Amino acid sequence: MSQTNRTRNRILLALLGLVLLAAGALTATAGVVPEVSAAWTSTAASGLDRSSELLATASLPGAARSWWAVGPVAGLVLAAALSAAWLASQGGGRTPRAATDVDGDRGSTVVDIGFVAACVSEALAGNRQVLGTSVSAWRVHGTTGLRLGLEARKGASPREIADTAEELVLGLDQLLGHPVPVLVRITSGTRSRLAGVNRVR
Amino acid sequence: MNAERTKRRLIRRETHSSRAAASIAAAAVLAAGFLWLASEAVLALLGGNALLAGPAQLGRWLAGIPAATLPAGLMAAGAGMALLGVLLLGTALRAGHLPRHALDSERSAIVADDDVIAAALSARARRTAGLAPGQVTTTVGHRSVHVRVRPTSGLPADGAAISAAVASELASYAMDRRIAPRVTISREGVLGQ
Repeated sequence: MSQTNRTRNRILLALLGLVLLAAGALTATAGVVPEVSAAWTSTAASGLDRSSELLATASLPGAARSWWAVGPVAGLVLAAALSAAWLASQGGGRTPRAATDVDGDRGSTVVDIGFVAACVSEALAGNRQVLGTSVSAWRVHGTTGLRLGLEARKGASPREIADTAEELVLGLDQLLGHPVPVLVRITSGTRSRLAGVNRVR
Repeated sequence: MNAERTKRRLIRRETHSSRAAASIAAAAVLAAGFLWLASEAVLALLGGNALLAGPAQLGRWLAGIPAATLPAGLMAAGAGMALLGVLLLGTALRAGHLPRHALDSERSAIVADDDVIAAALSARARRTAGLAPGQVTTTVGHRSVHVRVRPTSGLPADGAAISAAVASELASYAMDRRIAPRVTISREGVLGQ
């Protein structure tokens, strides 16, 4: 339920993949075709000559000798900053508040996620099919959404657990006063493996 | 945004990969590389000593690669880079299904792990045929469900009954993708328990 921008991840990964693919193809071709390797050497040599010519023009006073030297540095710093921003944009959106209600200037009511978690684990305490619960709150499109994790006993019917969860969520709706988006995840985990199968049914 | 659309969106995001792991790796490598290049450029500008290699040295190295490397080395390096590129492209373009299925429901978005579904189908088949745990294994894939039954030696399993039970159990889950389960009864039995 995190707020990762998935489209951007896909686009950036695809672009990076294309760049690597092109660079790899060029390098491999240079190994096979002598003309390509010769063109590589001559292009790079002329590029180096041209950049040193450019460095001599548009000169700046002081240590930074030329605008042509400052430009690439700024570009590299910008690229590093954008990469760091991409890195930082993964995940996020989790909040400790299950619900908030602002009542004008008289104050606001905040329901902590711990309260909802306690309600859920209390409600499912006697359930033989559910071995553990976890509750977290996430920002979903301007509102807060709840994520309910239910750990199923090995062999338990996911439909039965889903129906139990559905009832539970209807109860939560009454408790919180207004319906919030809810995601229920039925998982298996270490407890499912250790608790064994419910043989008598 | 209405509740139904939010529910569908939650299901979509929970059953598909966000590519966060690949993105974090790629972004970290890119950020480190650009930071290093930027520091080298700044050091060269201020006349300091290079950390590893200055911009001029890097440029000469780049120009000299084809002359200084064996053709086989170039090909291997190129193939490696291209392979990494194809892997990234595949990560970006493939659907990125996670091993989970959504279960139909009125109020909330409900997503169950495939191994939970598999364990439940195995349990149902086992109860129908009166088998011990371990005699039924179920594999749940994105668009396939395969139940393998190893009957007790000397006691033939009722394949039709097991198939019907598994099919009705699976239908009751009302998964987002309707799958007809495949049930195979192994010809070799196991010792009875």
